[in-house]
Amino acid sequence: MAGAGGFVEADNAEAIIARIETKSSKIESLLKQYKPVEALKTALEGSPPKTLDERCKSANWIVVHRALMAIKDIEGMLNALDVEYYDILMKYLYRGLSTGDRPTCDQCLKIHEKLTDRAGLGCILRCLTDTINTV
Amino acid sequence: MAVVDVHRFAESITCHAWSPDHSMVAFCPNNNEVHIYKSSQDQWERLHVLEKHDQIVSGIDWSSKSNKIVTVSHDRNSYVWSLEGGEWVPTLVILRLNRAALCVQWSPKENKFAVGSGAKTVCICYYEQENNWWVSKLIRKRHESSVTNVAWHPNNILLATTSTDGKCRVFSTFIKGVDVKDPKAGSPAESKFGEQILQLDLSYSWAFGVKWSPSGNTLAYVGHSSMIYFVDDVGPSPLAQSVAFRDLPLRDVLFISEKMVIGVGYDSNPMVFAADDTGIWSFIRYIGEKKAVSSGSSYSSQFSEAFTKFYGQSKATTANEASESSKSRGGVHDNCINSIVPLSKAGSPKVMRFSTSGLDGKIAIWDLENMQEELGHQF
Repeated sequence: MAGAGGFVEADNAEAIIARIETKSSKIESLLKQYKPVEALKTALEGSPPKTLDERCKSANWIVVHRALMAIKDIEGMLNALDVEYYDILMKYLYRGLSTGDRPTCDQCLKIHEKLTDRAGLGCILRCLTDTINTV
Repeated sequence: MAVVDVHRFAESITCHAWSPDHSMVAFCPNNNEVHIYKSSQDQWERLHVLEKHDQIVSGIDWSSKSNKIVTVSHDRNSYVWSLEGGEWVPTLVILRLNRAALCVQWSPKENKFAVGSGAKTVCICYYEQENNWWVSKLIRKRHESSVTNVAWHPNNILLATTSTDGKCRVFSTFIKGVDVKDPKAGSPAESKFGEQILQLDLSYSWAFGVKWSPSGNTLAYVGHSSMIYFVDDVGPSPLAQSVAFRDLPLRDVLFISEKMVIGVGYDSNPMVFAADDTGIWSFIRYIGEKKAVSSGSSYSSQFSEAFTKFYGQSKATTANEASESSKSRGGVHDNCINSIVPLSKAGSPKVMRFSTSGLDGKIAIWDLENMQEELGHQF
């Protein structure tokens, strides 16, 4: 489907996947240094919401998932995360919950509870109503 | 609290409007009738029941200078009611719609009114003296879905509309013979009927509740994704801001001054938004509460039960907190607030009083006289 204003075409998807791969190696190194919060921040930054390409979205999800599962201190992580990332994090949490995989769901549920406390129901609303920028 | 009067009129209220002297209120109690109540010595007595529509009356507006009531309904019709000899006499307006009418508003000069409909059109109706009837002109282009709200600019020509396609549009409704072309006015585009001046693509979800600021410089509307959008300097290069807020979406907004907006919606509690000195808009507070609200007690007991199931942990303590505070936070309305109507002289830059009505069947009158200090200098 031809991209409409802001959407990335298929050939640019390769560039995005390459960027995600570099991000992934950066995150691995951050995790090795026991900095899971930094890792999650890096993973959420530059999420490509305007891509129609499923591969880009899946590639980014794998990276975010890796960082999410490594988080132990949820409160601390949310303290360190900027408010603008709350909406994107919520979208990834729902993606995680939709996988049905027990450990992923457990982790996502824990983070969801704390994130809703902080960001409120509006955050969930924005996640549900936004059918254009999906993750 | 800023509430002056609350009265439960019916099971549920769809829309309401006030008489020019604010002594009478007309509303639709979620059926095909319009009830008019008068307040006398703290009692509300029903004066008239206007029964002409076949389906639910979705919009009512009461003009303050000419004292006419316009009603629109899901039955695709509109009536203009005039008070003759103590009775309200209806005049049918043929809107030429093939879907429900959703909202209506008199223009500032009260020589026209605009109707938004589910037929993806906006009807602009004006009175033709020669034939002694109301004629409707349709704006058929542009809208991709139902038009949920309409709002007139103070210049009586520009009309802003919001739609369930998420966009807010500004049209010119210049009608030869009814409107006078202002020699100092803007572009020639402004004098062609149905010409779209501006389209705002800020929302991804349904848009509701559009209003102009008193000067007509700023536009505010809400999106169903718990966002409110402010557009300053509406024109060729508008300055748009999207403000995301914590809680449930809003349904309607009202400018109480040039820099302050009240939003009402699913949270049953009016919210105050203001622009600071640099022009950045943000959420200030709820009308009835102090600024800081602790996160745990923000939700009603219904929510905390649902959350308990969701998180699979026993939240006995939090549940108790929440149910107590829901009584205190319960405030005035128990259910979604659908509309907010100003109760000040038309054209005055500040709105001191306004009323809200909602799905709980209550109409509440709010007075901001004592809240001037709390609201700050933007008010």
